[in-house]
Amino acid sequence: MEGIVKKYQQKFKKIKEEMNRWDELQSRLISQFKNASSIIERLQILQDAKHYGNLNSIGGIEAAVLRKQMESLQTILLSMQKTLEEFRGIVLSLEKFHRDGKQLVRGGSNQLTVKQLQQRVGLKPTLADCLDGLMILWDMHNSEYVLKISLVSTLSTLAVKPWYMEITFDLGALQQLLVDQPNIPKEEVQYISEIIFAEEIC
Amino acid sequence: METLEPYSQESERNSKPETENPSTSSVSPSAPPPASVLRLWRPAAQRNVRNQWSKMASYRQQWNLASSSGRSHATSLVNSYLSQRYLPSMELGVLNDMPDIREKASFKLVKQQEHHQSKLLSAYKDMVAAVNYMVNTSRSMRCFLKGPSSSPLVQFSSYSEDVNDTGDGGGMPVFSFSPIAAFEKLAEELVQMFELELNLKRLLVIELLSISCETPQVNGFCWSDELYPGEFDDLSMCNLYSKENHQLVTPRLKDCNSAMHALPVQHNHQPNQEILQVYLTTWLAEVNVDTHSPYQWGYRRQTLQGYMQREFLKRLWKT
Repeated sequence: MEGIVKKYQQKFKKIKEEMNRWDELQSRLISQFKNASSIIERLQILQDAKHYGNLNSIGGIEAAVLRKQMESLQTILLSMQKTLEEFRGIVLSLEKFHRDGKQLVRGGSNQLTVKQLQQRVGLKPTLADCLDGLMILWDMHNSEYVLKISLVSTLSTLAVKPWYMEITFDLGALQQLLVDQPNIPKEEVQYISEIIFAEEIC
Repeated sequence: METLEPYSQESERNSKPETENPSTSSVSPSAPPPASVLRLWRPAAQRNVRNQWSKMASYRQQWNLASSSGRSHATSLVNSYLSQRYLPSMELGVLNDMPDIREKASFKLVKQQEHHQSKLLSAYKDMVAAVNYMVNTSRSMRCFLKGPSSSPLVQFSSYSEDVNDTGDGGGMPVFSFSPIAAFEKLAEELVQMFELELNLKRLLVIELLSISCETPQVNGFCWSDELYPGEFDDLSMCNLYSKENHQLVTPRLKDCNSAMHALPVQHNHQPNQEILQVYLTTWLAEVNVDTHSPYQWGYRRQTLQGYMQREFLKRLWKT
């Protein structure tokens, strides 16, 4: 039993590394999002010749500036897609931790009873705690990943149709949603970690 | 590509283009130099082309630094100007009780603007210098024979001593099938991008140096003014000023030969926020420059030669 708990704790340590990686990606995605939205916010101004002042004396300037900005925007959106791919990699490995975790107690010969799953030894977590933790962490990150996909795709839509923004969207609110990560409540993550590593904390 | 790696090692070993195989024939006016000289010319020419392109890349870095410094001063200038402009309507809260608070703040903002304007001008000056270096480099691709080719020691230099020596080895390929002329053409295209961009930035600098909340206008430039002492000399080196008729070249865009509108005589000293934002964006966008790679332009054709040139330039351009 203790051996199995130890195996779970090792998994959680690896998960912690994945989550640190997640934080890095998160700050990268936020800065990409900021860069993209500042271009999107400018697009309308850039589409109006009267905002070019004395630059209007240069033939074709409006189209050229707009084209360059669209190119930069496309580049940023592409790199956001790459960042999303990396998020997906983390979600997949969390899923694998979860699947392997279930295997530990349900696989083949070592079928454990409910009683065994809930048996607590000292400060060590129960096997049920471990299983739940793996499931919850995977589920949180998965939902957050899905949310990020839709945020980025909304942003891409705005890039092609900037006039949508005035009607429905507030880029600031979108960005706040991205920053907040509502599907990954910090306290809950903290709580799980405290249960799993209770003995190390004391 | 294989020509590159082994060669660079070898050329480091023989750092001087000397030889034990002196050539005895002299260079005839139309015919390429004799094979024995050419065999020695090629490594020297390769070394030179490689050096010049790496210089080119470092001048591009110099440009980038100056341009981004210019952008940050332009941004601060615009912010300071807008703060001053909206100062009268700004809600100051408890600060309202302080005597002359708005006047003092306004004075401070004017000082800030002056500071950023002078920094912007010096960034522009740095950009002019970078383009001048590029121009010189683009003209130094050739490799000339030094001294008579009959001398026992064949040497090369960057200056022509003989009118018959074109410095391009009679059109012989230097790297991967490309003769000197091909590298010169690429360098020229590159330099032209930066020249055009410099001229566009000049217009922006003038606009930004002209903004001011003060009425009547005290400072401010117009297009035909010399922005710093010696500017016209510098600009004539990069083909943006003609000394014969004392005329500046009017700014235009790459690939755009559309008729020029007359340049504004009257500068708008108090442009609105949107115009200023467009100015800053235009500064950032560098519409005339394909900074990514010189190998994107010029040689788009899918030929082996084009491919080799692109690959070769990718290496040279990497910094």
